Amino acid sequence: MEKSRVKDIIIDSFNELLETEGISVEVNGNTALMGSDSVIDSLGLVTLLVDIEARLSDEDVEISILSEKAMSQKNSPFLNIESLTEFISEQI
Amino acid sequence: MSRILLITGSRKGIGRYLAEYYLKKDYVVIGFSRSESDLTHANYKHILLDVADEIAVSKSVRAIFKEYKRIDYLINNAGIASMNHFLLTPLSIVSKVFETNFKGTFNFSREVGKIMSRQKFGRIINFTTVARPLNLEGEAVYAASKSAVETFTRVMAKELGHLGITCNLIGPSPIKTDLIKNIPKNKIDDLIQMQAIPEFSEFKDVSNVTDFFLSDESKMITGQTIYLSGVN
Ligand SMILES: NC(=O)c1ccc[n+]([C@@H]2O[C@H](COP(=O)([O-])OP(=O)(O)OC[C@H]3O[C@@H](n4cnc5c(N)ncnc54)[C@H](OP(=O)(O)O)[C@@H]3O)[C@@H](O)[C@H]2O)c1
Repeated sequence: MEKSRVKDIIIDSFNELLETEGISVEVNGNTALMGSDSVIDSLGLVTLLVDIEARLSDEDVEISILSEKAMSQKNSPFLNIESLTEFISEQI
Repeated sequence: MSRILLITGSRKGIGRYLAEYYLKKDYVVIGFSRSESDLTHANYKHILLDVADEIAVSKSVRAIFKEYKRIDYLINNAGIASMNHFLLTPLSIVSKVFETNFKGTFNFSREVGKIMSRQKFGRIINFTTVARPLNLEGEAVYAASKSAVETFTRVMAKELGHLGITCNLIGPSPIKTDLIKNIPKNKIDDLIQMQAIPEFSEFKDVSNVTDFFLSDESKMITGQTIYLSGVN
């Protein structure tokens, strides 16, 4: 799967989550997914990651985003949309 | 629409009974075990796997979701026991018991929990035993593995509570299955005498409790344990 497709999936999933939470912000690669700049909380991040995994699975990409590797990296792959795109693309 | 129910360890014993019981209620039942099942029914599907196998569990659960589009209920029934003085218990047995009882419950709960969290509905029932609150001698490893299942279930109930998913435990007292067939009769008799109701339990005592936990009306019941026979 192309990196751009991975990014689209992440953005679609993120937008859907924002919609259900009634938040409206401009979303791009630098949009934070965790930390003080993030508009979603840690539970929101869990929901997002589970949803992205399912969307990838719908397109026959079967990966577990929450691997030990993801948790042990010095720079968290969940920092923003760009870093998550990188991290998922590496695993495909 | 028929409810979709997953039951681990459905080849024999309590799991087999529950599979047949819920098929009679017109549920679609998907059962799992390591060896072949002879249960055939239009609404039953059997999948061979070891519940401790993370990849097999995640692949199967995803495939089931793709086929049925939802998963309503999960009963983590698969379990093994080891009855021995702990001084005579090899570590390999400890690993085996925890692999099936704890990791198996964990694997299924996580993968099915992901699906339930998206559909904002689900019921998860895990299995413990009266050997846990009774702290039975000779069952140290088995009871400890069920302690892990209990704590895990209570925390899971909190983490999933806002998503419409309930997580509860049933703790049977002795029921005549292969699990306890090698325990000496006097040991079982001693155990039964510790119960408020000093009798063997039957399969239908289990389905009575699972019915309660699965019911739509039980949406406010989570993180709870019901032991049979008045043990607590
Ligand atoms: N019977 C009792 O007195 C009693 C009392 C308290 C609690 N419990 C609990 O009730 C549950 C069911 O016990 P039971 O008495 O029905 O036991 P059982 O008759 O021995 O049946 C166990 C079932 O689990 C399956 N299983 C075992 N290990 C597995 C694994 N690694 N992966 C997949 N499937 C596995 C077995 O099938 P395969 O061998 O084909 O895999 C079988 O279908 C257990 O959690 C047990 O701890 C039972």
